[in-house]
Parts: sequence; C-alpha cells; structure tokens
Amino acid sequence: MTQILQFQRNRCTSVSQIDAQTLLSSCHLQDTLTDAYVELTVKLPDLEISDATGEVRRTYQEECKNQHDVLKKVLGVRIGPGMLKIIKGLMGEVTGCDQLAFMVEECCHGVILSFTKDELLKAPEEETRKKDFYANMVKQNIRLYNRCAAFAPGSSLVDGIEPPSEPAERS
Amino acid sequence: MQTFMRNKLVSITRRGNDTLVIHGVLDDDIYGLEMNMEIRLTDLTILSLDGKWNHWTTPECPRAVHFLQEAVGLRIDEEGFSQKIHRLVGRKACRHFANLALECCHSAGEAALLAKWEDRKGMNPALTFEAFLGQTERPATTVPSGTIVSAVPSPPRPAVRVEKTKAPKKIPVSAGMVIDLHVHTSPASPCSSAPVDDLIQEAKRIGLDGICLTDHNYLWPDESVEELRQRHGFLILRGNEITTEQGDMLVFGLDRDVKGIIQLKDLAEEVHGSGGLIIAAHPFRGFLTFGVGQLGLTVEKAAERPLFRSVDAIEVLNGKVTKKENAFASEVADGLGLPATGGSDAHEVSEVGLYATRFFTRIRDENELVNALKEGACAPCAFRAKEKESVLP
Repeated sequence: MTQILQFQRNRCTSVSQIDAQTLLSSCHLQDTLTDAYVELTVKLPDLEISDATGEVRRTYQEECKNQHDVLKKVLGVRIGPGMLKIIKGLMGEVTGCDQLAFMVEECCHGVILSFTKDELLKAPEEETRKKDFYANMVKQNIRLYNRCAAFAPGSSLVDGIEPPSEPAERS
Repeated sequence: MQTFMRNKLVSITRRGNDTLVIHGVLDDDIYGLEMNMEIRLTDLTILSLDGKWNHWTTPECPRAVHFLQEAVGLRIDEEGFSQKIHRLVGRKACRHFANLALECCHSAGEAALLAKWEDRKGMNPALTFEAFLGQTERPATTVPSGTIVSAVPSPPRPAVRVEKTKAPKKIPVSAGMVIDLHVHTSPASPCSSAPVDDLIQEAKRIGLDGICLTDHNYLWPDESVEELRQRHGFLILRGNEITTEQGDMLVFGLDRDVKGIIQLKDLAEEVHGSGGLIIAAHPFRGFLTFGVGQLGLTVEKAAERPLFRSVDAIEVLNGKVTKKENAFASEVADGLGLPATGGSDAHEVSEVGLYATRFFTRIRDENELVNALKEGACAPCAFRAKEKESVLP
C-alpha cells in the first residue's frame, strides 16, 4: 500500500498589533477540500471585534458558499469568557457553515493566547519559583482550578489551594 | 508586529480498507504538541490515540498525555462528540490537546468522505467527487469547535407542578430585605446542579428574605413560581439570564422566554417597553485575567462601553468572578451612577446567598423589585461570603 496522503490540512492563526489600540487576528485554512480565511479587527482595551471579513474560497459544502456577510454578525462582541456561546449563537442563526464560526473562534483564541504569552514570559526559570508562579496564578484566578491536568487535584501546582465549590466556566 | 502565531498540520493516510492513520501537529508561541490517531472507516470509531509534548508551560503539563486515552472508543460522528472531547480531553488533559484532537477528527471525517468516493470510483471510474456528493449523505462530523447552539438539544425543563391553591401563607417580609438576585436551578439551567426545592430550603436556612430564579434563557412559568412560594412560604421572584452579543444580562419584568442570542439593543427596547429592567451580569468576568494594565482598561474607558447605555443597573458582587473583577465593576457603577446589585450566581445549593442585594423597601413581587431597583433603593452585600473578606473596595 502506498503512503500517499489521503487528506492534508494546514490551519494558521496569527495575531498582529496594527497600532496601539488595534489587533488583527487572522485564520487561514487550506486542506484537500477547503480553502478559507477569516480576519478580525479587535479594538483594545475592550477586546471588541470592530470588523470581520473573510471568505470560503473553495468548498464542497453549499452552506459555506457566499457566506462572508454572516461574519458581520460578530461585530461588537467582546473577546473573553462566554464568547463562544455568543459567537455560535449569533452565527448559527444565519448560517449552517460551522467552519466559518470555528475560524472566528480560532481568531479569538489567538488574541487571548497572545496576551497569555506575555503573562507566561514572566514565569521564572528556577523550578521551585516556577511552581510558585503557576500556583499563584491559580490562586489569583480560581477558575483555572481543575481546568486541565496541570491544575487538577494531585498536581503540585494546586497543593493547598481550596477548590471552588463547582467546576469552573459555568454560566 | 506579529504577536502570536499558531500552526496546525494534519496529515492522513489510509491503511488497508478500513483504517485512517492520522498525524496532527500543533505548534505556536506557547505550546507544541503532536498526536497520532487511528480511526476505523466503517464506523468512524477512534481506535487509538497518543500524543506528546514538544514544548509546554507548567511543570505539570506532561500529566496531560495520560488522559488522551479517554477519547478512545468515541465515534467522531456521534452526537455531542465535540463536547465530549472538550470534557474528556480538554478538561482532564489539556484544552490544546483537545483542540488538536478535534482538528484531527474533523479532518478524518473529510478524509472518510474522500475514501468512500475512492471506493465508489473503483466501481465507476468516471464518478466525479461532485457527482458522488450528490448521491451520498454527508457524514455528520462537526467542525472542531463543536456544535452550533441551535444543534444542542434543549435541556429538560422543570416540571410545572401546580397544586390546588391553598390559602396563601404569609410570606415573611420586613423593611429591609436581602434577596439573592442571581441563582440557577437544575434542570432549568443545564449547568446547574441545584434542585429548586433544595436551593430554596438553603436560602431560608441561612436567613435570606428571598431569591430570584434567573435561569439561562428560561423564564419560569408564573404558576410554578406561585406554587413554590406557597409551598415554601418564601419570597421567590422570576427573572431570566439572557445572553446578548454584549454578554449576559439579568432581566426582570419581561414576561417572555427569549431563546438563543439576542442583540442588547433589541432586548433593551423590549424590556423597557414592558416596564422591566436589565442588570449587566458580571460585566468584567475574565477581563482582568491579564491585568488591567496589560489591556490598558481603565474605569473611565470601561464605562464608555455601549452596553452600559442599555442597562439599568450593574451586578458588582457576583459569586463567580474574582474580587478584582467585582471591585472593578463596582467602580464602573459608581462612575456611571448606576444602581449596584449583588447575586451569588449559585449553581450549587451551597452557593446561594454568597452575595445578595439588600433592599430598603418591602419587596413582595417582581413589580416592587423592579421599582426598587430603578429607584436605586438597594445595595449589594456579601451575605454569606466569608465575613473575613471585605469584598467591596
């Protein structure tokens, strides 16, 4: 049997600072069946989506053709907790193209991760201090508790931290 | 200048007639991970899954790899697949592994479609992909993120239990009442585990004077609430937590069930038109995670947000946000001169009354509640939040 690929996908999400108050987050998808991009303009300090453009240039899915206007539904949405429900709700009302909504989400996650990166750069190199740094991060933001294996009970990073009374990221 | 980049690469080969072999890579400024997966073509079941880190952040991130096995056996076209991956891989392992797993699985769904086309072409070499699609029911695999809200099955709603009306019990009221304005019950709010009767009993036990049922996009029927009032001899009011493009809003005095996401301006028009009232719920939840300085968010700038022009009050004590976020909301409410409220946002019985709102007038029904809020005859309070903490700035 040959090892020629049956399918290949490349998705690239990037965030750029356009000026002191503006970020541009873009997601480009190319795979065997689809070629699409989404670009969000995001205003600081509210992380509000002020513009959204994009296009599905190649697809076999009828519901994804000529859907660029639906991106305007997310204008005014602020990137942060609860945004996925809002984005899916707003876009789901007007399009069946789930891929486009996902690309918007990827752009939003990229923005959050760009800020997360800045915060993580402050982590010390020395192991004990590094553990303290992350443990303190959980203490300061208890929503992180039990959000992943690293912050779950049994991890040294949450030793001695009182768990919140419910799983994080509810309402 | 570019501040962040994430690349994801998925490649899929077919092994034999019935197996897709998938290799996925996620690489960004923070995380680097890889995943190998095998999926059976006939039923799209995940047969095996393993992964490895190339670069990560915390000293405990490597614990995540073990939990990837939780996804083995799932079918990528089964209902709620994305949510299961988020729950089993995202929460137990790492959300970045979950993100890559979903990317791999969605790609596998597309590859499965191509594989079926290839098989059909064996019998009919002239069959084009387009013609094949016209003859074939498309696989139900979802995009990586998960299903659109409208595809999520409606949660079971509480049964309306109307008993024969008895003589009304006297509801304890007094000048100055403490009411928890923000609670979620199960099953009305799918994210809550608090049965309404248990929640009410606990509210009574700790000495609250009343609670507002503010389930997500669900308005309790009037008769159900009346029945609860009678049965418990306790003040229970109807509200609703409605999601708008500007975030969650607590709505009182609107006698309509709003489904899905609504534009805040439309909601405000309708609520105010019917004499109701809107409270911006936890308006800064999560926004201060990176630090105010990092985003450059000041009280003055925050107060300029359009949402504050559409609401009548701001929730400044919420049990699900950090003290900093509550304090920031309080400063914004002060700056805008809007009434401030408190609510536990309880999703569990033990959380009711964590924060609440003290009213300076008698509240016996939703009308009196709305009027008191409009007049600002109220103040947020840390009712059973540990007294040791002073939450207000």
